[in-house]
Order: sequence, then C-alpha cells, then structure tokens
Amino acid sequence: MGKENPAEKALNLIRGRLCDPTFVFRPLSGPPDSNYSKLKFIVSTSITEGCNNSILLLGPRGSGKAAVLDLVVGDLMEEYPDSVTLIRLNGLLHSEDNCAFKEIARQLCMEHHLLFSKMASFDENSQFIIAMLRECGLAHKTIIFVLDEFDMFAQASGKQRLLYSLLDAMQSVTSQAVVVGISSRLDADQLLEKRVRSRFSHRKILFLPPSREEIDSLLEHLLSLPADSSFPSGYVTQFNEKIKNITSDTRFKDMLKTFLNANSTVNSLLKFIFRAVSSMNLESGLLSLENFKTALSSMLRQPKLEAVRADCSILELYLLVCMRRLEVKEQSSYNFISVMKEYKTIHDSFQTSDFYAQNVCLRAFEHLREREVICYAENRGQSQAGEYRPMKLLISASELHQGMRSHACCPAILLKLLDH
Amino acid sequence: MPTIAGSEKSEEVSLLSEDTISTPKKLKSRQRIAVSNLRTPDKEVKQDSHENLAVDSLSDCLGSESRDEDQMRAVKEALHVSKAPSTIVCREDEHRRVFEFVKGCLDQQKAGSLYICGCPGTGKSLSIEKVVKQVGDWSKQACLPPVDTLSVNCTSLTKTADIFSKILEIVEPVKEDNCYSSPLHRLQSLFSQKQDSSSRMMLIIADEMDFLITKDRGVLHDLFMLTIFPFSTCILIGVANAIDLADRFLPKLKSLNCKPMVITFPAYSKDQILRILQERLMVLPYVAFQSNALELCARKVAAASGDMRKALSVCRSAIEILEIDIRGSPGPESQGPTPDNPVVRMDHMAAALSKTFKSPVVDTIQTLPQHQQIIICSAAKAFRGSKKDATIGELNKLYLEICKSRVISPAGITEFTNMCTVLNDQGILKFGQARGNKLKRVSLRVDESDITFALQGVRFFRNCLL
Repeated sequence: MGKENPAEKALNLIRGRLCDPTFVFRPLSGPPDSNYSKLKFIVSTSITEGCNNSILLLGPRGSGKAAVLDLVVGDLMEEYPDSVTLIRLNGLLHSEDNCAFKEIARQLCMEHHLLFSKMASFDENSQFIIAMLRECGLAHKTIIFVLDEFDMFAQASGKQRLLYSLLDAMQSVTSQAVVVGISSRLDADQLLEKRVRSRFSHRKILFLPPSREEIDSLLEHLLSLPADSSFPSGYVTQFNEKIKNITSDTRFKDMLKTFLNANSTVNSLLKFIFRAVSSMNLESGLLSLENFKTALSSMLRQPKLEAVRADCSILELYLLVCMRRLEVKEQSSYNFISVMKEYKTIHDSFQTSDFYAQNVCLRAFEHLREREVICYAENRGQSQAGEYRPMKLLISASELHQGMRSHACCPAILLKLLDH
Repeated sequence: MPTIAGSEKSEEVSLLSEDTISTPKKLKSRQRIAVSNLRTPDKEVKQDSHENLAVDSLSDCLGSESRDEDQMRAVKEALHVSKAPSTIVCREDEHRRVFEFVKGCLDQQKAGSLYICGCPGTGKSLSIEKVVKQVGDWSKQACLPPVDTLSVNCTSLTKTADIFSKILEIVEPVKEDNCYSSPLHRLQSLFSQKQDSSSRMMLIIADEMDFLITKDRGVLHDLFMLTIFPFSTCILIGVANAIDLADRFLPKLKSLNCKPMVITFPAYSKDQILRILQERLMVLPYVAFQSNALELCARKVAAASGDMRKALSVCRSAIEILEIDIRGSPGPESQGPTPDNPVVRMDHMAAALSKTFKSPVVDTIQTLPQHQQIIICSAAKAFRGSKKDATIGELNKLYLEICKSRVISPAGITEFTNMCTVLNDQGILKFGQARGNKLKRVSLRVDESDITFALQGVRFFRNCLL
C-alpha cells in the first residue's frame, strides 16, 4: 500500500509530462542559437520596433514546430500583455480564400469584442481586415498570423490570393504584423507564385532532429523525479539511480540507436518513452530495461511477419514457399494452378510427408488471401475464377524467412527449399 | 533579451549618481562585451589624469548601449521595404517615359493605354505612385482640371467585372435611374456620346492585371477597348509581370492599330542595386555597412533575380546577425565590434546570404535517420538512367539489396512505406496517384547532386552512390 501510491503517482507525473509539449520543449529554449531563441528574436523585434516580418518554420512532422511556436507566443503574451493578437489559420481547413478571410474576420472580431456577422461578403471581410490592420498598426498592437500547413495554402488555388494579400499587407507602413508559416515540406517557398515569393522575406528556421547530447539531456529531464515532498525521498533517489543505470547501459544505447535509425523526430521518441513507462512494474515502482525492450518491439512492428509466425499452418507455409520459388524462377505472373504444380514437383522430388488435395489447398489459399499475405495481382479479371487469376506475394523474402525461422513448428525442409 | 539590456541600462543609471572613482568598474563591464576592445586601457589611463575627460567618456559609455539599439532600429527602418524613399533612383528613364505619356494624353485631352511589365521587385508600383503624385502637382501648376485617379489591385476583386463598376463610380458619381444595363454597357454608352466640356480625365491604374484574365478574355479586352471609344476620357495603365500580355491576350487591338504602349522595367543590375542601397543608407549619419559587404549583397542578388525586395531583406537579415553578435555570447569566436560603431562586415553579409539562398534540403538530408538516407540513396541510384519513377515495391527491393550488402537489418514493408510517406511529406520524394499503397509510383524531387553532396562525408554511403 505504501509503495504503490508513490509508484502510481510517479507514473502519472511522468505520463503527464510526456503529453505536455511545453514541458518537453522548455529545456530546448536555453541555448542562444536554438530555434526558440531565433524565433523569439524575430517576433519580438517586430513587436518592439514595429516592423513587419514573415518567417517559415520547416521540419519533418513531429519535430516540435508548433510546440516551439506556442512557447514563443505564450512567453511574448506574458511579456507584452496587451500588444499581441494571435490569428490562427490551418491549410487543411481554410485553404479556400473565402473561407480564410471569413475566419480571419471572425477571429479578429472575437479578440476585440466586436460582433461578427456570418452573412458578410468577401469584399466586406477583406475591407474589415484591412481596416483592422491599419487600426492595430496605429495602436502599436502586433497581429501574429500563424498559417499551419503552409504548403496547402500555396497549392490550393492557382492564384494564392490569401497569401498575396497577407504578404502585401506586410509591405505597407500602416500595418504591424508578423506572418509565421509552418510546413513540413522543405520546398514550401518554391511552391509560391513569383509575386508572392518576392514579398516573402525568405527567413526560414529549420527544425532538425535532436543530437545525441540533446536526446540524453531530454531523457534525463523527462524521466527524473523531482525531489519534492510529494514523494518519499528514498524512493526518488532509487528511481533516479535506476534511470541513470539504464541510460548508461550499452544495451539501452543500442536499442535507442536502432529506434532512431528508423525514426528520429522528437514526437516518436516521446511515444517510445510513453510506451516504456506505461509498462512499468507497479510492484517495484522502478523502470527497467525490459520496459524499453517491449516498447521497442511494439513500435517497430512487422505485421506480415507476425502473421506468418503466429497464424500460418504448415500447408500455408508450403504454399508461400512455392510462390517464392516461382518468383525466384523469374516467372512474372503465377496463379493457383501453377502454385499447385510447383507443390507437386516439390512433393515428388523431396518425398515430403504432407500432400493435401486441391480443395484443401484452395481453402488454405483463401485464408492467406484474407490475412493479406498474398493478393490478386490485378483487379481487372474479376470474372475469372479465383484459381486462374494471377497472384502475388505481399511479404518480402527476408520477412518470410524470418517468420518461418521463428515459427513454432516449421519443418526444416521448407527452410532449405526457400534458400535455393 | 530585452530584459537583459534593461538591467544593464539600470546599472549605468545608478553609476551616474556615484562619483567618478566607480567608472573603472563600469569600463570593466565594457570589456565583458568586447574582448578585443583596445580602447579601454587608454580610457583608464586618461581618467586618472583628467577628470573632465572622464566625465565625457562616462557619458559616452552610458549612451552607447541604447545608442546601439537605436542605431540598429534606424538602420532596419531605413532598409524596410515599406519605407519608400523620397526620390527614386535608377528608374528615372522609365519614370520619365510614363510621365510623358500621361502628360501627352492630358494635353490633348485624349484617352490612351499603357502597359507596364517587369519581374516582381523591380519598382513598378513605386514608380507609378510617384507618377500619380507628379501628375497631380503638374496639373495644378498647368491650371488644368484635376485628374481623377482610380488605383485598383485586381487581386482584391471578387468578380473581374467589378472593375467596371468601380470605374463607373468615379465617372458618374450620381447614379442615374438606369440600372438595367451593366456597368460596362453604361460606360460604353457614355464614352460614345459627346460629353460636356467640364468632364474630367480619369487615370486608371490596374495593378496585377493578369488576375483579370478569364477564360474568354472578355474583361481585359473590354477594359482596353474603353480607351478606344471616340469620346473616352480614361487613361489606362496596366501593370503585370508577363512581357507579352498585350500580344497574347489583346490581338484585336493590334488589328485596330491601337495596341497599348509597352514599357518594360528590367531587373536591377548590380550597380543599380548598390546605388539604391547606398541612397537608402545616406539618411543615416553613420556608416552601418562596410562597402564590400554591400557590394557582395548586390552582386549575389543581381545574379539571382534582380529583385530589390530580396536585397533589402538580405541586408536586414545581416543587421540582425550583427545584433545577435553584439548581444550574444562574449566568447573568443565573436570578435565584437567596438561598441561605438557597429558595422556590418563581409562575414555577417555572407551568413545572411547563405541563409536566404541556401535550400534546407542538404541540411535535412544530412540529419535524416539512417534508414531514410538508405531509401534516398536507393532512389537516386534507381533513377539515374532514363527511368524516372518506380513503384514502392521496386524501391523496396533496391533498399533490401543495399541493406544486405551492408549487413544492416532492413525495416519491414510497413515501416518502409511509412518512411516513404515521411519523405513525401517533406518534399524529397513524390508519390503518384494510385489506388493501392504498393502500386504508388515514387519519383525523386531532389537533385542527385544535392544527395551526393549531402552524404559525401559519410563513408557508409560513399560506395552506395558510386
């Protein structure tokens, strides 16, 4: 009873931390040349000096662009309480010009407590926006336009009217605004029309995956328990000791390297740690290397391999091996009949014990097709009977090999047949 | 960052009330900022001997922090795109031609049309604004009736035919009861009848005119035809980017022998960019840029596009780098300029240029996870010849080959497809349209030379790309 409560509390605390982007990205805001400080510098100079700017945040999905932007905006709203208005647009929702202008007008009305009419036409909306930009410019209030999925705005309509009007407004003296675009496409600014590109100020901040040192410090920051009074102090030191042991273990480093070789964004790392932490043993209340191992295997899943390993009967394995052999023999298209021929040749040459009748094999075939380990090669010949339609394998040779090796009772002859 | 500067300022203010013995402490804090500042020992020596000089140098030190910021702000303001200079340099010839054209039309009280074309950022809208002002002044001086001006940016029109209603509002401010005909017909009927002599000339400026091009090219045509009517009073100036807009979209006008006059604004050359930047910076009393830094910027931008906005943006970026340099870490790398006169040097300008012109692709490819780099390599190898796209299945085969040759355990097909999707999201690969996932055709969006350049340092990939 006494030991469970701290373990549960620790679990809740860590899981809460992992789901809170501000906590995760806060330590990245320390160094002066981090993306956080670059972004903050640009936006705060616009606020204090009243000049207009436009920036693009680029990086793969899940690298923390929106999170860092939220951090910057939150900090600026605290520092300059009444001089910042935030307008958010999303390229998936508001890529159409009418929709976008209406949304901007609606958000402006909400910020400044004005009444918004849904019946306002496009002209009225755009005039309202221009007037508001001028008013805010006179009152030295900066408007920050955040355009999420910036490449959608550029690709949606041929004319890019919204981008043109916003960036054109940046060129006039009367307005005081910043346009921040967030995109995962690295060539987002090449998608802009030349007029729009000329008005864009070509500032780009690239969000790269974290380096090894950053990952190590991030792990420590996320997983160490604070030494405050809500936890018994012995437990806290024990927990943090265990974390240190795990992270300096070479096996853990190898696991992390395997994981990062496939997927190196911050978001995927957080998911990995979340899964590991969720499988923590509540009895002992400490994390162990096993937790991370199970998390890794659940993240790097190979469903076809599992289908072969867990689900296939010996006959189905035979059929798969026959199909693979036909592929190796450069037979570009094969169907059930040719697979059966191959099966018969194998049986004749190797005198295997299992030889089943055609209708049993057909049932096994159907089962494989349901599991999506094989499928029809084309969708066209629907009128043909199932046996004559060309088929193809959906599982690669190495996965098949691995699956069969880890199969519970795969006969050795099949492995030999596969290798030839 | 503003808070840090504020605390330094308060430190300075509190020191003012103390006597001059405390100034050496003040100067030591100067040393923290500028490591290679050779002047401080001299100041210290001077202070011990002359008290008056000490007071002067103290006020110098006090002011320079805030003076720096004000300086930076003033320079950035002078370089902002929105700040139009009072005189326009390097466009005198085109400016004069446009002005002569408008003056000619006004003198003879005849209508006319002019088409101005040029790449973005070549000073078209700026010149037109100046011409409009100049025309207003000139007509007042020459005692002609004032000219109505209508300046329309065609991107703000919901319907292209709205431009006619805007023109009609100015020609006929009081709406007659005849609301059955469209604005275009009304204008056409007005211009076909003789007007009373008190009618005024109208100057119409249509910016971004290619937005008026619809499928049947009707609106653009009718707009230019308005100037051909016998009693028309409008002078039309159209601005767009395409050089051959008049030829391509207004063939009928050519047959009627009333093609609009075309004035091309060429892209700025290196000397012109340099001159414009120097003009802008002349308003400041101090030197903010080293001359070779400005020249580097002008040369690079002129070679790329000749776009003035880009040049201004690069200069502002260089100022920001200088600011960060001054405020930033006082380590051995940042040789801080003397706090009295911060100047943008070649290295600041080079950094700003590389930030603007470099594409982020090379950096991203270098920091991608290893499996994604292998995928990119296999794609580069596959598309080397005439083949420009492949299915995911074929790409997977190549990927497995490379993994086998390097003894790395490959990722499964699901993980492989996910990684290809991530690369597609980033704009490195391109997916074609297909119904099934495995049948999607993949092509490479990035140049192979970029990939080779990015991965040249990694021994692993050197053999792969051979």
